[in-house]
Amino acid sequence: MDKMQNNNIWVGIKDLEQDPSFIEESGLETSLIEQIADSKNEEVFASNRRDFLKFLGFGLGAATIAAGCDIPVKRALPYVIKPDTIVPGIANYYASSYIDGGEFASILVKTRDGRPIKIEGNDLAPSGWGTTSARVQASVISLYDTNRLTGPQKSEAGNLSLTTWKDLDTKVKSALATASGIRILQISNTSPTAKKAQAEFIAKYPSAKVVNVDHSNYSGILDANLADFGSRMIPSYHFDKAEVIVSFDADFLGTWVMPTKFASDYAQMRKITDLSKAKMSRHIQVEAGMSLSGSNADNRILVKPSEQGVAVGHLYNLIVGGGAPVTGLNDKAKASLAKVASQLKNASGKSIVVSGSNIPAEQQMVNAINNTLGNYGTTIDTSNAILTKQGSEKDFDALLNEMKSGAVDVLIIDGANPVYSHAKGLQFAEALKKVKTKVAFGLSKDETNILCDFIATKPHFLESWGDAQPTSTTLSLVQPTIAPLFNSRQVESSYLTWSESPSTDIFEYIKATWAETAFKAQTDFATVDAFWDNALQLGVMSTIGGAAASFGGGTIDFSAVTKVSNAPLEISFKESISLGNGQYATNPWLQEMPNPIDRTSWGNYLAVPVNFDGDSSMVGLNGLKDGDLAKLTINGKEFTVPVIQQFGQMPGTVSINLGYGRTEAGACGTGLGISLIPFLTDNNGYAQNFSSKVQVSNKIGKEEEFSCVQYHHTYGVKGKDNDTGQMINADEAATVFFDYFTGIKGFQGSLTDRSVMYTSNLADIKANAAELDKKRKHAQYLNSKQIYGGHDDLYNNGHHWGMHIDLNACIGCGACTVACMSENNVPIVGKKEVSRHHEMTWLRIDRYYYGDVENPNTVYQPMMCQHCDNAPCENVCPVNATNHSSEGLNQMTYNRCIGTRYCANNCPYKVRRFNWFDYTTADSFPANQYKKFGEELTFGAENLTRMVLNPDVTVRSKGVIEKCSFCVQRIQEGKLTAKKEQRVLRDSDVKTACQTSCPTGAITFGDSNNKEGALHAKLELPLNFISLEEINVRSSVNYTMKVNNRDKSLDA
Amino acid sequence: MISRFRKLPVLIILGLFLLGITNVYAQPSPDAGKVLFTANCASCHAKDMKSALTGPALGGAEANWDTKENLYAWIRNSQGMIQQGHPRAVELWNKYKPTVMTGFPDLTDDEIASMLLYIDGVYAGTYPPKAAGAPAGAGAVVDEPKGSNLWSYGLIILFLAGLSYILFRILGNLNQLSAAKDGVDYDKPSLMKVLTSKGLVTFLLFCLVIFGGYTTVNRAINLGRQQGYEPDQPIKFSHVTHAGLNKIDCQYCHDGARRSKHSVIPATNTCMNCHSAIKVGSQYGTAEITKIFASIGYDPLNNKYIENYEKMPEDSIKAIFTAWMTDAYVTDKGIAAIDADGEELVDNQWRDIKKSLTNEQKKTIPGPIEWVKIHNLPDHAYFNHAQHVAVGKVACQTCHGAVEKMEVVKQYSPLSMGWCINCHRETEVKFSENDYYKSYEQFHTEIKEGKRTKVTVADIGGLECQKCHY
Repeated sequence: MDKMQNNNIWVGIKDLEQDPSFIEESGLETSLIEQIADSKNEEVFASNRRDFLKFLGFGLGAATIAAGCDIPVKRALPYVIKPDTIVPGIANYYASSYIDGGEFASILVKTRDGRPIKIEGNDLAPSGWGTTSARVQASVISLYDTNRLTGPQKSEAGNLSLTTWKDLDTKVKSALATASGIRILQISNTSPTAKKAQAEFIAKYPSAKVVNVDHSNYSGILDANLADFGSRMIPSYHFDKAEVIVSFDADFLGTWVMPTKFASDYAQMRKITDLSKAKMSRHIQVEAGMSLSGSNADNRILVKPSEQGVAVGHLYNLIVGGGAPVTGLNDKAKASLAKVASQLKNASGKSIVVSGSNIPAEQQMVNAINNTLGNYGTTIDTSNAILTKQGSEKDFDALLNEMKSGAVDVLIIDGANPVYSHAKGLQFAEALKKVKTKVAFGLSKDETNILCDFIATKPHFLESWGDAQPTSTTLSLVQPTIAPLFNSRQVESSYLTWSESPSTDIFEYIKATWAETAFKAQTDFATVDAFWDNALQLGVMSTIGGAAASFGGGTIDFSAVTKVSNAPLEISFKESISLGNGQYATNPWLQEMPNPIDRTSWGNYLAVPVNFDGDSSMVGLNGLKDGDLAKLTINGKEFTVPVIQQFGQMPGTVSINLGYGRTEAGACGTGLGISLIPFLTDNNGYAQNFSSKVQVSNKIGKEEEFSCVQYHHTYGVKGKDNDTGQMINADEAATVFFDYFTGIKGFQGSLTDRSVMYTSNLADIKANAAELDKKRKHAQYLNSKQIYGGHDDLYNNGHHWGMHIDLNACIGCGACTVACMSENNVPIVGKKEVSRHHEMTWLRIDRYYYGDVENPNTVYQPMMCQHCDNAPCENVCPVNATNHSSEGLNQMTYNRCIGTRYCANNCPYKVRRFNWFDYTTADSFPANQYKKFGEELTFGAENLTRMVLNPDVTVRSKGVIEKCSFCVQRIQEGKLTAKKEQRVLRDSDVKTACQTSCPTGAITFGDSNNKEGALHAKLELPLNFISLEEINVRSSVNYTMKVNNRDKSLDA
Repeated sequence: MISRFRKLPVLIILGLFLLGITNVYAQPSPDAGKVLFTANCASCHAKDMKSALTGPALGGAEANWDTKENLYAWIRNSQGMIQQGHPRAVELWNKYKPTVMTGFPDLTDDEIASMLLYIDGVYAGTYPPKAAGAPAGAGAVVDEPKGSNLWSYGLIILFLAGLSYILFRILGNLNQLSAAKDGVDYDKPSLMKVLTSKGLVTFLLFCLVIFGGYTTVNRAINLGRQQGYEPDQPIKFSHVTHAGLNKIDCQYCHDGARRSKHSVIPATNTCMNCHSAIKVGSQYGTAEITKIFASIGYDPLNNKYIENYEKMPEDSIKAIFTAWMTDAYVTDKGIAAIDADGEELVDNQWRDIKKSLTNEQKKTIPGPIEWVKIHNLPDHAYFNHAQHVAVGKVACQTCHGAVEKMEVVKQYSPLSMGWCINCHRETEVKFSENDYYKSYEQFHTEIKEGKRTKVTVADIGGLECQKCHY
């Protein structure tokens, strides 16, 4: 039996190697870097004693003048005609759909006084569709992006300027009238209404043809399915029914096809509620670099990117039998895959094999494997095809050739940005010059549309009417939640205008479309209006079931399978979980959200492998360490990139995220990191996300602003005590030298054995649960003997708020962190501030590795204020700005805080954040403000960006501490609802922002005094533990032991 | 001292007795009825109980019904009674249809009894009790006028100064006598010398610092507070006319108070509910009401809303409303054509309308009326009207004063944190009435066991920071 692995977890190399600076810093509230003078801003921020006197004088003077002056007159503007549905101060929720670049989520948009301020999942949507990801949560701030175009644009001598719709329409129509080759290049669009409008356009201009592309390429799998099933689609995968999951480099929890839906299903097979019947799926990820799915996997089989094809081939030979090439596959992977094959065979009909490959032959092998295993019809549903990805690289190449030959007269581009996001972007930019008229639909400028003649400015999806058909059986509506902020026009309206259709009103047009199709397909409603109202209220509806496609088994061209490269180093390019392939680079929340795996933000970092030297230290590639700069040479082109040492990265490979290096992405996206899309390699017209022509140099420097948060705010760090040689908790090293009367030096047991995390293998779960129980009882016994005993009698009256986080469900996707920023007006601080440990996130996701140092398992721990009933922060505040409520909340009162930061220093969980600058311009002293992007006005100071702020949450100013409040504004609102309705509070009244955003339902919040509530039931679960329970702070947050289903035999 | 101790038990008994009186939730009372009436009935039924509005006058309602049960059933579900064919129900329906009376199925017998007590009291003129001396409607706190104590302090200071001067002279004389007796020269200190002596100057400076510090701190605390703030408004809206004389319920216009954090300044279309009929005011004639029409675009002469009003040029707007004011003037005076006085009046009124409805940001007349906000809380303080009005059942006047007597509204309360906290300390929550409070099991047990007589807002956490600051 494996011993329960307590504290055999590590954050990174510094932790494993016992780096003295890391151990020292872990005891501090913020980093030592703090003390390094900030040379750039010196003239603004440097102050001395004379300045202090000046400020004092100014302060007194200002106060005197303020006292003498009248208070400024404030106005209150009522409506002229108040809409029935709006009550100022009460939020309205509208059902809508998030559709962006092929992603789909059924959502509720929270609007306050006419402003959308928050996105929630739509709980009326069929299971898994109403869940959100970080991208969905962050989409609301892109509505208020200051880089948005304010109206239609025309280009004169390469410069874009405002024009009128009339002018644009006249010119575009005259170009269309004379054109003999019209092409529409668009990101896959599933909207039935848009298709109808496009059809009208094509009827008017018969030379028009549509070319679909996707932000990431799915041509391989689509073409494979066309060959095998006769239909270019991706089937629905039911990870909630799969007992064995094998993924060949498909990051289905992070980026692949439909990650939020997949994650929601996946987690259902990972939660453990009953020890006696403990069961979970086994997830095996075959990959080189650590992906989000890989980090959640039980086993990772390491293969180089160029080995992926033969790895699939090997499994194909073992399961389907014969024919596929396997030359070059490493022996370890070969042996492991053989064992995987037998496990798959044992789980026939209850397994899923997926691949992220973009080669049809490889995807066809995966199809054949699934077919032999009998997975079609059980875990894979072809009758409900996913339609969000329809891009075709062949069509794109054909278009490119047509453009080069001058056969395209008018090119209309919708959503696609090939100049940046396509490997042949430069060729495309060149070929654009040969197109007579180029029209783009766009929200803001990008690399492609600035080269066009016209930009028909389109509204944000929160300002639009629309619909979508994400799968063949699901229809969904998009409704506007605010009047268009700018002079924009919907894409559909533009098509209809140009085709001189009688109806250009998009609302009437959509309603008519639905009356024709969805209304006629149902029997519940007799009138169109009743049907429409209901559909709008629900947001999403299931139509009748589609027909299943049967596996035809097309012939597989084995010669197309990737040949294994013998180059010493390979690089894989990965879609970023936050930024996608660069399409979300303009979004500051997504930029600031740390990458779940390597914990970096604001830029892309080269992940290099680390190897254990067998003694005590870890060796990175070429001796590179975190934050070093190295020269990366791909195909002869040199880049300077910062490096991050990545556990689980296969030796002989490196990897890097795509989506950075944009040249036209507004204030926060432009010029961050490097773009590697031009270096995607080509295999018979299918772009491959890796390259073998790569070299990485030795260290050439140090990154000035190393924005990786992995060593920020760490807790429970242990260091070796010099006097005794014992490992003790680092942040208390100074306080624990006990020389008892016996003369024996020593430490209290609790100081050497901190409970930060408990992990177990599924096979050992009962023994480990018993052990955990013993440890907890012991800690509770010791705690009860302390002078700070329990407060149970204080908190058993009324409510006592608490939280439960199921670490087996948490996949670390980061949706909660963005939801928290959105709900609580958490400021964005930018790259430099992040590099100085100044990120303001109230909720962070701590990522720990455990197990095998070279191929570890990963556990994510969402960490926020634990609302301790014996809170150490409360005792040290000199002004009582933080104190405890009778409902068990650790209250932070900003207007009382004077910024001593004692509380942050005394917090064992490191969850308190200090406003070093006036990040949100809550006060008007410019010297307090921090210009993130060197702009005139601080980011977030414009009225447009400020519209996203939640009016129920105070905007904090410089010099105060802030932290998680358990969404107290939601608690108060929920209590008020119950009081108004004169009933007891229900679980559904109060849900925190992190809880509602979580796609896997890992977070449960509630009143632990409510015996009938969901939280109370969760608190009884056998795997629960409280982080740092032994220090008697009485945290209100419970976690579960992380259980993995790792098959040790695969490691051999 | 002894006598004081003797009084103590008496005080305790008296205190308990008073507590007993205040804890009368269980029994019907006209006071409770008033709150319920205001919340549920007052938007349709007249407050004087004698005149009919949307619904009939309620005075004497009990006499019109055969049994109490039927009346109660009618209040809870009037349509049900009509369908049952109860004669009184059918009579009322025939008179008022198609207006349907809102059903109140949640009202308890005691609550209805309370309302009927209140209705009878108002109808008969016995409520509010005359002897109480408190102004009607104010519900609670109204300050007694305070006489200034300054002159009495002055007198005392003068008296003490005189006394010290006399004592000082006596002391001087005695010293002189004693010196003469001892044969020593004694230089009698002059008043000037004493006033400039080190001791006195130090003492005075000390007093000055203490007084200065005290004043500064008090002033600093009061920074940003504006109790008594009484700004001019764009419309001379009279709460006396609306809430006082016509007894329109506060929440008819301020309809956010029962459901939202904001009480809400009514939209112009709310004004139009009445003012499409009442077009000339009792105090200012056409001068003020025309501003409503000019804001929303209503042509009072032709009784219709003006189409495309937002885009209308100012001259056309002026033409419509001057024509209306002229017409009203002529009709009022009973003359055939407008005279010079009238022309001047109309001209002045128009200029005032324009001034009131436009400013630097808002150049055109159509659009919202920009009222001056009187009650301003700092951004870090969260206040919710619904919590106080709908849940706490606090009368509007408790915080806003007797608005129905204010010609121009002013800020009645200091809106300071101390003021909030004091009220939270004293105010009882509707503990037994509202099922929400069931989760406070301990308090319920204590009440049952007699250990506790009341639960105040403070008891359930009403003094904690994050009840208002988050």
